[in-house]
Amino acid sequence: MDTPKRILVACGTAIATSTVVAKGIEEILKERGIQVITRQCKASEVRSLAGDADLIVTTTPVPSDLGVPVIQTLAFLTGIGKEEVIEQIISELQK
Amino acid sequence: MEVFLTTLKAVIDNLGATVVLPIIIFFVALIMGAKPGKAFRAGVTIGIAFIGINLVIGLMWGTLSGVAQAMVTNWKITRDVVDVGWPSAAAIAFGTDVGLWVIPIAIIVNLVLLVLKVTKTLNIDIWNYWHFAFLGSMVYMVSQNLTYGLVAAAIAAALALFLGDWTAKAVQDFYKLPGISIPHLTTAPGVPFAIFTNWLIDRIPGVKNWKVDPDTIQKRFGVFGEPVILGLVIGLILGAMGYYNAEQAAVKILQTGMNLAAVMLLLPRMVQILMEGLIPVSEAAREFMKKRASDREIYIGLDSAILIGHPAAISSSLVLVPIIILLSIILPGNRVLLFADLAIIPFVVALFAPLMKGNIFRMIVAGILELGAGFYIATNMAPLFTAAAQNAGFAMPEGASQITSIGDGFLWPQFVFTKLFEALGVIGLVVVAALLVVAWIFYLKSPAKWEEAAGAPAKK
Repeated sequence: MDTPKRILVACGTAIATSTVVAKGIEEILKERGIQVITRQCKASEVRSLAGDADLIVTTTPVPSDLGVPVIQTLAFLTGIGKEEVIEQIISELQK
Repeated sequence: MEVFLTTLKAVIDNLGATVVLPIIIFFVALIMGAKPGKAFRAGVTIGIAFIGINLVIGLMWGTLSGVAQAMVTNWKITRDVVDVGWPSAAAIAFGTDVGLWVIPIAIIVNLVLLVLKVTKTLNIDIWNYWHFAFLGSMVYMVSQNLTYGLVAAAIAAALALFLGDWTAKAVQDFYKLPGISIPHLTTAPGVPFAIFTNWLIDRIPGVKNWKVDPDTIQKRFGVFGEPVILGLVIGLILGAMGYYNAEQAAVKILQTGMNLAAVMLLLPRMVQILMEGLIPVSEAAREFMKKRASDREIYIGLDSAILIGHPAAISSSLVLVPIIILLSIILPGNRVLLFADLAIIPFVVALFAPLMKGNIFRMIVAGILELGAGFYIATNMAPLFTAAAQNAGFAMPEGASQITSIGDGFLWPQFVFTKLFEALGVIGLVVVAALLVVAWIFYLKSPAKWEEAAGAPAKK
């Protein structure tokens, strides 16, 4: 069995928008049979937590020099373009 | 209507928010078109979140009340209004009698204003309807009349849309977020402070050219962005100030530090559960509103959490944390003991940035003005805040400390609403609504000029 990939989900509070994104990712990837572990954090904590993650998904700008792929998206909040972002997340995880 | 509401209130008061809110959420979600299974789980999850938040508030409050009392004895400083943080404020707001009705009310206000082409914003950020419930709850506590509270919540929902529309172009340009607006009542009330600060600083020779670099600040002040460490350090300092002369001083000081570090981690986790429960409602409401909104250009109204990662917002907040802790100690007449909401400061300053082109020095000055005034607003409003918490069923021991939070206890909208009501009764609400209508008419007459004043780039 593969170890589940770890996704760090960031927003301003680690409470509001990141919960929507994290739950959205978990639900859809579970349907597709991909196991992931999500962890939510604040934008100010991204730098110290990035090392443990395989991918960062964020609703707010984060630094780009973290050495981990970053996807910044509002699609989970607005519902617009959600499919494309999911595909993007899956392809990043399969790299 | 009043009889119906009173009867309902009696039933609700008996059951308490942990039982009533799940039921209401279940039905709201169903009406919006969520599947019954999801709606049911959403309701139960929200009830659980309330129980969790209550437990953590109990821990925080027990710890901080003890410290506050010891500080009075040791240092003769009265800081007996405990900052319980916006997560608690949100839970309180949703848990009051006003909070139970706020979601349908705010959706109706939004759809009506969209159809009338007054607003461009479709506020799908259901979670942040708590701000409207909060304003409504304050008016309800002052008037003891639920209908007035609900009217105030409706006006607050309209106010958020107005502020969202007004600042939309500035947000879209500065934060590069096309089609988005931020109808958020912790963030948007800062705009007037930013306009004033700019005006002031532009008149001071020399100072008007000052700038601060965000990167150096993030490196030097980084620790103020880590809530757990911040909670621990503040806990140790407060513990030392309160218990240095107590029996087993070391034990008590260390326990205070650990308890407050725990609160900083646990409180947001509990509110995450609340948020998780609201997702099905918020997704159903989003589709419900989108279907009924017209096809013309609309802005999607989102949480200011999406702005907070910007270096200007983070850096200026990091500097503001130690400054306002200092202010809380030295400001005469202040009774607020700052704690849980030190993490919310990025929200307060986020909309300063477009106006100030991300100039952190100016953002810090505007933040000091807004939060400095906030200490007095919060001290003044604490009895109402505490009463709202009791109405929402949170356990508040008699005669102990009062509570507040920076979001939104420090901010002017709730203060204006309740003070006008205290002075004029129901006419106060009419005045608030009339002021909003007048501002809106002027804005719609010359939108470009207003948007520029809020920080949008000048049209060529």
